Amino acid sequence: MSAATRAGRPAPGAGAAPATRASSPEPDRRVLARALRDTGVRPWPVIRAVLAGTMALGSAVGLAATAAWLIARAAQMPSPADIALAATVVRFFGISRGLFRYLERLASHDTALRGVVELRERAYDRLAASGARTVLGLRRGDLVARMGADLDAVGDAVVRALIPVGVAVTVSTIAVAIVGVITPVAGVALAACLLLAAVVPAVLTHRSARIAAVAGTRARAEVTATALSAMDGAAEHRVWGETRAAASALEDADRDAEHAQELAARPAALAAGSQALFSGLALIALVAIAILAVQSGELGGPLAAVVALLPLAAFEAVDAVPAAAMQYHRSAAAARRLSAFDGAGAGSDADRHRASSTLDLDGLRAAWPGMEPTRPVTATVRPGEVLAVIGRSGVGKTTLLTTLAGALEPASGSVRLDGEPAGEADTGVVAAMTAEDAHVFGTTVLENLRVARGDVSEAQAWDALDLVGLAPWVRGLPDGLETEVGPGGHSVSGGERRRLLLARAALSPAPVQLIDEPAEHLDDDGATALRAMVARWRGQGRTVVLVTHDHSLLDVADQVVDLD
Amino acid sequence: MRPLDPRLVRRIGPARRYIIVTAGLGFATAVLILLQALLLARLLAPVLAPAPLDGDGLGWWGRLVPESTRTLETGLAWLACVVALRVLLAWLQERLAHRAGVAVISQLREAVVAHVATLGPRWAASGRGTDVATLVTRGLDDLLPYFVRYLPQLALSATVTPVMIVVVLGLDWLSAVIVVTTLPLVPVFMVLVGLLTRERSERHLAAMQRLGTRTLDLIEGLPTLRALGRERGPAARVRALGEAQAKATMGSLRIAFLSGMVLELLTTLAVAIVAVTMGFRLIGGGIGIETALAVLVLAPEAYLPLRNVGFHFHASADGLAAADSAFGLLEDPSAAAARRGLGAAPELRGATLEVEGLAVATPDGRRLAPGSLSFQAEPGRITALRGPNGDGKSTALLAVAGLLAPDEGRVAVDGRTVLSADAAVEESSWLAQVAWVPQRPDLGPEGRTLSLGQRQRRALERAFTSGRPLVLLDEPTAHLDRASRAQILARLRALTAAGATVVVATHEAEVLEEADAVVDVTAVLA
Repeated sequence: MSAATRAGRPAPGAGAAPATRASSPEPDRRVLARALRDTGVRPWPVIRAVLAGTMALGSAVGLAATAAWLIARAAQMPSPADIALAATVVRFFGISRGLFRYLERLASHDTALRGVVELRERAYDRLAASGARTVLGLRRGDLVARMGADLDAVGDAVVRALIPVGVAVTVSTIAVAIVGVITPVAGVALAACLLLAAVVPAVLTHRSARIAAVAGTRARAEVTATALSAMDGAAEHRVWGETRAAASALEDADRDAEHAQELAARPAALAAGSQALFSGLALIALVAIAILAVQSGELGGPLAAVVALLPLAAFEAVDAVPAAAMQYHRSAAAARRLSAFDGAGAGSDADRHRASSTLDLDGLRAAWPGMEPTRPVTATVRPGEVLAVIGRSGVGKTTLLTTLAGALEPASGSVRLDGEPAGEADTGVVAAMTAEDAHVFGTTVLENLRVARGDVSEAQAWDALDLVGLAPWVRGLPDGLETEVGPGGHSVSGGERRRLLLARAALSPAPVQLIDEPAEHLDDDGATALRAMVARWRGQGRTVVLVTHDHSLLDVADQVVDLD
Repeated sequence: MRPLDPRLVRRIGPARRYIIVTAGLGFATAVLILLQALLLARLLAPVLAPAPLDGDGLGWWGRLVPESTRTLETGLAWLACVVALRVLLAWLQERLAHRAGVAVISQLREAVVAHVATLGPRWAASGRGTDVATLVTRGLDDLLPYFVRYLPQLALSATVTPVMIVVVLGLDWLSAVIVVTTLPLVPVFMVLVGLLTRERSERHLAAMQRLGTRTLDLIEGLPTLRALGRERGPAARVRALGEAQAKATMGSLRIAFLSGMVLELLTTLAVAIVAVTMGFRLIGGGIGIETALAVLVLAPEAYLPLRNVGFHFHASADGLAAADSAFGLLEDPSAAAARRGLGAAPELRGATLEVEGLAVATPDGRRLAPGSLSFQAEPGRITALRGPNGDGKSTALLAVAGLLAPDEGRVAVDGRTVLSADAAVEESSWLAQVAWVPQRPDLGPEGRTLSLGQRQRRALERAFTSGRPLVLLDEPTAHLDRASRAQILARLRALTAAGATVVVATHEAEVLEEADAVVDVTAVLA
């Protein structure tokens, strides 16, 4: 349950956040506006959705107004023809509301979905082009959360914040106009109440969200930590009689979190109350104005009924404003997390490619920020040579490899490629790395090999598969090289996966190859494949660094570094 | 999914109380809405009527609001009171909902964590841990919108809707007939729409999921692409997949929103029909203006909670799903596989610990690690377990500590079985004699501020000074520098000199040299 926390990688922000960000936080408004610009959402589709929404909720206002007029007029016992038109209009509003609401929902979701597609492409592009350190430092969960939920949250700003607020403005304007034309005083009263009913709850809700964000975050982190500790350390707590203590630590953390949420709930409850208050005030005021106007003879019954009963329908649009304020806050937070992806670092630079390269390590200690550095390593690996790195799990072998790839600044000492310090531009081009958890994509075997180099021919693919002893397996697949593997495709065992990754590495043109072997015991086929690979690379004059747990493999190396 | 999980009511105290209170508040709200409508009718009828009103247009319900409220002053005063009470109720409802939601979430979280803590290391290794961690840290929080938004509306639809129908029936039976006949049409049409579009919506959903998986695949693979210098290509593919997914999503939304449209269409149209019908009856004198006004205001209120339930259901589905998995976990019978009791544990001090044919299946069931482990650990001696990673050294220590039931074999003390696959001595009396230090000690709440190395030293210190006769250490010298390692070895010697039985899992040469006996741990295929 703590695979993520144990991965030894820094939390984003600790390590992955670019250093160029301003020290004082940008206001929500600007962060979100920038993210929304990236969605490429144009004004017209948003306006169209607002218009449809206006027609929908405007129908409700129209229905209330015409129905009130109809009843009041009918009470005067005119001929049926006098109310025939109003009756038709009432029925029309009865139907149009549902229809336009449907159109509005489709239009707003369509706009938001397109925006998210655009935003995802840009975010992917930007992330891909940012430093290797940012990309390789990401935990899988973070990456998926940001490129998934956070992007969607930015899209939700359109559907759940922008459009509802737009509709609230237009529908309120229509309601005020109807009432204002009949009696200007009532129009002013309604406008004031609508404005207050929109602004006061929105401000209170926003404050609630802020309190929750500030006080809640720390309390929630404590809840998470104590809950994970109680579950992860359960066996240890049993041995030392601490099960009760761990449970009460969680209870304490829960109480603190409840207290923080309680603080946030107060303004939220006031917001709910204030909504009821202002719509109620509008009702009282307009009923009074309408009755007085009739009594003084200024107004006929039917129009007075419109003024008195319209408030019952006019507040539906502004009632959506607090939720929109909440969504605004959430979307801005998501946009802020996304923006931490932007900026610093360099993408790989294909111009730096060369046929061979010498790797120099001088007193190199490797560490992610906040980690204890590895012990210093000094070695020179020339083309055609192999360096093996051994050590216990968690000692920093993978971190060392990441540093050799140029993706991570050395904690101290230096890494040089042909005499020049290794940097992010070299990662993948001069020094390619095959991580133990490298990804097998949900596509064909051939496309998975082409991940290493776009122009791999079928013959080259078969050659690489043959080298790692995987050719018979691929021949046995239903469509050979064209068989889909990975998620949604043909299943791949752990050993086959490792050898597929090795075959991919064999096709990579980078002169320095860094291979991270998984912690589990390599099976015999895997060991044979690795030996064959290393022999091939040696013959090609590649520079090879191999992280391994299997001491029986050390005979392939020219030098061995023990990190223990 | 059921709108209200009965287990929430049955098992969680705050949830039960809250639901009762919410139902009460819902009823109070219904009464206030009713009063408001009646007052509006009272106030407006005299000014809209062509002739002075004769008789009470509100029938029996007129008893709730005296005819004196027809005057502006009295009527407005009453209306102000109703509005004030509605403000108070809205505030109270939100407060209570929030408090109850938070309390329920805490209780569920504590129950799940306490339950998981009893499930043991084998369960933790089964891979379900990550899901549970997500559930208790984030998933359950989705219950809050369920309590704050959805449940109150559910309560209102159970109280306001019937109250309004009864009242409208009392006022004007024809309008009540219109309301009562359209109400059942709502679920009927929604089900009909759902049935007619099921196949299409399933197809869209499948396409959405497929494309979503593809996109996720590319995103997850980004570090791999970056490590090979091939990160630039897939952005266009991310876009193409995204566009296809957006299209599929719109296809499914077009269908999903249909049921919402049916709901709004029917409810609004019914209100319109009620109004128009009353209009024509007013002309004919078939209904009084006071009655008509009351019905006009009340009719939409009968439908409103229903609409809101539909509106908020989506947002609370996640919370209900989280509660469902929490209860599923709490009720999982496989978890409570208790071992037969063998009474209190024998005194370990000075006794020989025997492990015979110990085997534990790996979570995937493919191997036994350890395969068949047998050794004797004498008091005053260090026994080292050695073997490749993943072959079962740590698991063997867990089984000896009694924290995990082996699949085969037994642990005995001076010939008497204390732990086996289906039997065990009383846990507290056994564990009180065992000092166990795992590879990454947690050290409980106070351990969280320490680094791994510090935790390791602190945990070892606790084991060394505990005075417990059996000391089980898993890679005790990992994460430590050479000087600390030497220190640990010296402490181990001191322990054995004091008569403790020490079993160490290690692959460290220095520790193996110090050991009095070395046992090889190997895994076998199951």
